[in-house]
Amino acid sequence: MAMLPSGVFAVRYAQDRALLRTRPQWVSLALFMLLLALLPHLVTPRLLAIANLMLVTAIVVVGLQITLGYAGQVNLGQSAFMGVGAYAAGVLSTKWSLPFLVTIPLGGVAAALFGFVFGLSAVRIKGFYLALTTIAAQFIFHFAVLNLPVSWLGGSNGISMHPARLGGIEFSTDVSIYYLFLVSCTLMVAGAFGMMRSRTGRAFIAVRDDDVAAGMTGIPVVRTKAMAFLVGAFYAGIGGGLYAYYIRFISVDQFNLFNSVWYLGMIIVGGTGSIVGALLGTFLIRAFQEVVTSIGPLLAELVPWLGGDIVFASMNILLGGLIAFFVIVEPDGLMHRWNILKASYRLWPFRY
Amino acid sequence: MLELNNVEAIYSEVILVLKGISLHVPEGGCVALLGSNGAGKSTTLKCISGLIRPEDGAVTGGNITFLGKRIDALPAEAVVRRGLVHVMEGRKVLEHMTTQQNLMVGGHMHRDAARRRQNLERVYALMPPLANLRQRTAGYLSGGEQQMLVIGRALMAEPTMMLIDEPSLGLAPMLVEEIYAILAELRAHGLTLLLVEQNTRAALEIADHGYVMENGRIVMEGSAAQLKSNEDIREFYLGLDQSGERKSYRDIKHYKRRKRWLG
Repeated sequence: MAMLPSGVFAVRYAQDRALLRTRPQWVSLALFMLLLALLPHLVTPRLLAIANLMLVTAIVVVGLQITLGYAGQVNLGQSAFMGVGAYAAGVLSTKWSLPFLVTIPLGGVAAALFGFVFGLSAVRIKGFYLALTTIAAQFIFHFAVLNLPVSWLGGSNGISMHPARLGGIEFSTDVSIYYLFLVSCTLMVAGAFGMMRSRTGRAFIAVRDDDVAAGMTGIPVVRTKAMAFLVGAFYAGIGGGLYAYYIRFISVDQFNLFNSVWYLGMIIVGGTGSIVGALLGTFLIRAFQEVVTSIGPLLAELVPWLGGDIVFASMNILLGGLIAFFVIVEPDGLMHRWNILKASYRLWPFRY
Repeated sequence: MLELNNVEAIYSEVILVLKGISLHVPEGGCVALLGSNGAGKSTTLKCISGLIRPEDGAVTGGNITFLGKRIDALPAEAVVRRGLVHVMEGRKVLEHMTTQQNLMVGGHMHRDAARRRQNLERVYALMPPLANLRQRTAGYLSGGEQQMLVIGRALMAEPTMMLIDEPSLGLAPMLVEEIYAILAELRAHGLTLLLVEQNTRAALEIADHGYVMENGRIVMEGSAAQLKSNEDIREFYLGLDQSGERKSYRDIKHYKRRKRWLG
């Protein structure tokens, strides 16, 4: 438990378990949610589109945080799991015209089952080897979609989708999509917080810290590892389904290995083992990506003698360099720095 | 030889672990650092050897001098090069290497192969059991053998001073004796020792001076003889009563002594 301000102590178990312990915490959360709720009226459409992308990525990255940061199982296939969710939702909604309230969870379930298969391999292998196996997930997904009959998954043509509908509302504008995503993301993040503080979450952390010791305390290590993949992939599937309804066109190229690596980068920058860290990492990396991609053309226009090619190439280098910089300066992620800041603020004016 | 002056150390930038430690190890001496778990003994050693930095800690106050030169800002590898070697607790052998490879790694600083071989022979002469285990994988050695191996590995660096952390951890009494016999022999060869130990009895047998730590402070110091006869030490660390008998829990009347020092 992080350090609390002095004078805050629980007298009931319910208080002790509560995520938010003080009034300022409640107030700041409420203000933050209010800001998010008002965001469509405050920002330009371009920024809102970015926000949509951030929200859907946040769900996927929180899932990866559960598998990687909490349960300690390396996963380089999160993007493939996301793709499975997207395809499942896509097929269910275009072929069987199921409503999106059904297809999204089913997409999550499909991804979870796909992830579970790879979770089984985590039972026997660890670390580097496991990472390789999850890369295999990425390629199996790619291969399966491209080589299965076109009438099943659309092959290389992809799948075009109708917008999501709920009652009379059609989620086809950025603003409506934003609210849909905000609600989904909030639900998923709240779920993650709950789960990580529960028995399951503790089992994940125990397995991460020492799977032998976890086994000795009676935690079924095999089941917990598989479960970690199941849950993480479920999040990816939900994110994938939502993404499909947003872009309304699915193809395999949207779910490639690079995206998986980016998700990993978001976790590393944000900090492993922290849900807020996952959100922070998602926000920062996506923001950097957007800034860099929008600065590029601007720079090419303003300084013509540089040449467009050089500018675009160097933008990617800059982006990679930024991440490397983060990792070198703060290898434990930004949440670690934040926790230190919090602790020193509470100890102020003393240093320790 | 080694001098710590008012050393303060913190972890994670906010947790104060050492609150002004001053101690002195004379050349050729053997000093024991005693205290309960979490008192800061191991942290003190890590401050000296520079290993505190990889653990997200830092020396924030005071100074550490070794042979008249300050070493508190040096990285761990530079400290070893000056002849001060740290044997960590928990027997950190390189478990996939053989005994001999482990020892060779210890001598890695010296480029001269002949000298390395000479050192190797010296280690084997000092610890004959290791000589029979040359080609064995270090991870499969027993606890006592591993402890000998890490001491031997440290000796390969030709140190003038050794910091040794809990050499008796988890070892059978006979093996503890064996390890301490080795340490005594090293002393006789002129190696300066700073020993951190829970096994107060064994430590005070070999040491000539001792410091007692509690809560990141040194609460008592004295020669080994003084400490052995100190009533608090007898009560809390050696488990003896006033007359020097082992305490018997059969005695009906039993009252807990209070510590006579400020923690």
